[in-house]
Amino acid sequence: MRIGIKYCGGCNESYKREMIEEILKRELKNCQFFYSNNADLIVCISGCKKGCAAEKVSGNFVHFDEWVGENKVLTKIKTKLSELLRS
Amino acid sequence: MMNGKQYIESLRKLKPRIYFMGRKIESVADDPVLAPHVNAAAMTYELAFDPRYEDIITATSHLTGEKINRFTHIHQSTEDLVKKVRMLRLLGQKTGSCFQRCVGCDAINALYITSYDIDKKYGTEYHERVKEYIKYVQKEDLMPAGAMTDVKGDRSKRPSQQVDKDLYVRIVEKREDGIIVRGAKAHITGAVNSHEIIVMPTRALEADEKEYAVAFAVPVDAEGVTMIFGRQTNDLRRLDGDVDCGNAKYATVGGEALIIFEDVFVPWERVFMCGEYDFASQLVEVFATFHRQNYGGCKVGVADVLIGATANVAEMQGIAKAPHVIDKITEMIHLAETCWCCSLACSYEGYKTPSGAYMPNPLLANVTKLNITRFPYEWSRLAQDVTGGIVITLPSEKDYRNPETRKLIDKYLKGVADVPTEHRIRMIRLVENLSIGAELPESMHGAGSPQAQKIMIARRSNLEMKKEMAKIIAGIKPDEHFKRIRGISEEEFFSKLK
Repeated sequence: MRIGIKYCGGCNESYKREMIEEILKRELKNCQFFYSNNADLIVCISGCKKGCAAEKVSGNFVHFDEWVGENKVLTKIKTKLSELLRS
Repeated sequence: MMNGKQYIESLRKLKPRIYFMGRKIESVADDPVLAPHVNAAAMTYELAFDPRYEDIITATSHLTGEKINRFTHIHQSTEDLVKKVRMLRLLGQKTGSCFQRCVGCDAINALYITSYDIDKKYGTEYHERVKEYIKYVQKEDLMPAGAMTDVKGDRSKRPSQQVDKDLYVRIVEKREDGIIVRGAKAHITGAVNSHEIIVMPTRALEADEKEYAVAFAVPVDAEGVTMIFGRQTNDLRRLDGDVDCGNAKYATVGGEALIIFEDVFVPWERVFMCGEYDFASQLVEVFATFHRQNYGGCKVGVADVLIGATANVAEMQGIAKAPHVIDKITEMIHLAETCWCCSLACSYEGYKTPSGAYMPNPLLANVTKLNITRFPYEWSRLAQDVTGGIVITLPSEKDYRNPETRKLIDKYLKGVADVPTEHRIRMIRLVENLSIGAELPESMHGAGSPQAQKIMIARRSNLEMKKEMAKIIAGIKPDEHFKRIRGISEEEFFSKLK
């Protein structure tokens, strides 16, 4: 599975956005990660509720705009990946 | 939609129980003390029919597709949030006062967002009720008052710890057809000339405080509702003519009332929260965010009038070209526009909530309001400085109307030769009205006192991240970008300099 990571511009983050990328790379070892929209799933990482990372994204994506804790990050991604695999 | 005249007529059909100065108010629309507040609210209706302003004052309902007054709208985009504050500045300019209707607008938006989240967690049906209520408000073009602040009693104690349990509005009985509520809400802007009252909790609540977790709407003349209209500095000048008030047509600030609920029945279709204590803080925070967003709009509109009044006084007194006067008026403009920037910023930085409605950026909305607890004091100080001591020593309108003293006042209080003395007096009274009295404490405490904003700002800003940034810049933590820019580590780079 190819996962594209798309960050917002990071002008005034309310949490450390890189934590999400670190968790994904650590826990999803079978996936390939790119900084590109050309992927099976795009993970949009916004630093705040404005949600700039997801503004022009369509297709299969998940979006984080606040720190929700490691478990919720993984659950959200894994749920989406399961949906994609089923389809 | 109603126009201004129809709004005033609609108030005459209601029979709210209101007291002021020891007497019962017979007609809110016609009472000389309350009428200016009614006129200010009526402006929110009237401008919706003026083609020069309707683009800002009206919106399209996402619920019905109908054209509605923006004060009944649920914001569907950041552009809607921006148009809201543009509308507030415009109305501040047109009334030089508080037009009161934003509170209800903020209440329906906060309920819309929060009820959606409550339903998602508990499977309740509040959101549908809120939507139906909003459709009713939009169709009838109603003005609901937003009632949040409880009377609170002993501030060191939680609602459940108060000796008198009624010091926070609470549910005293649940029935098959609805609930019975008791308590009181304080400082409620525009309550006496609203059609409805929307009640919300005032603070975060705990599991043993479910009876206080209540949000609902009732008509202003519901059985058991009593309002006691609050005094303002110089309020009875309204009975003396049209000069001494300064703003005889639209009054100053909103006209606030203490609302008492003595076992008021609320049917279930108007109950929007009933025991979900864990959502009380969200409802308070969302409402506060909307309401704090406003203040760089409405107060700046009023400041525009004060700046104009100050500049007029300067001209009428022959000091308009003095460099220090130009500087002071420019400083007033700077302060006002800074607050405007804040309102625009928190609106443009707004975002979509799970309900689909948009809300402003909470951190920036709180910054907006915190500035309003300070800057109006400074622009008022400057207005008083430019105007001079006469702002508090002018003779009364009655003396001006008395032929015995009028000729003396006309002669000796003359400014520049081509301006009638009465014009100078009227303008100074306007400066007095806008810079002394209820206007300033309203800036301080309306939408929450400064400490409430400080708490939100501290909570919403990322201090740890700022500490991290400082450590990187100070050379305590590694700077990954510096290494990429120079191709070597900081240590290697600086060792070459030593």
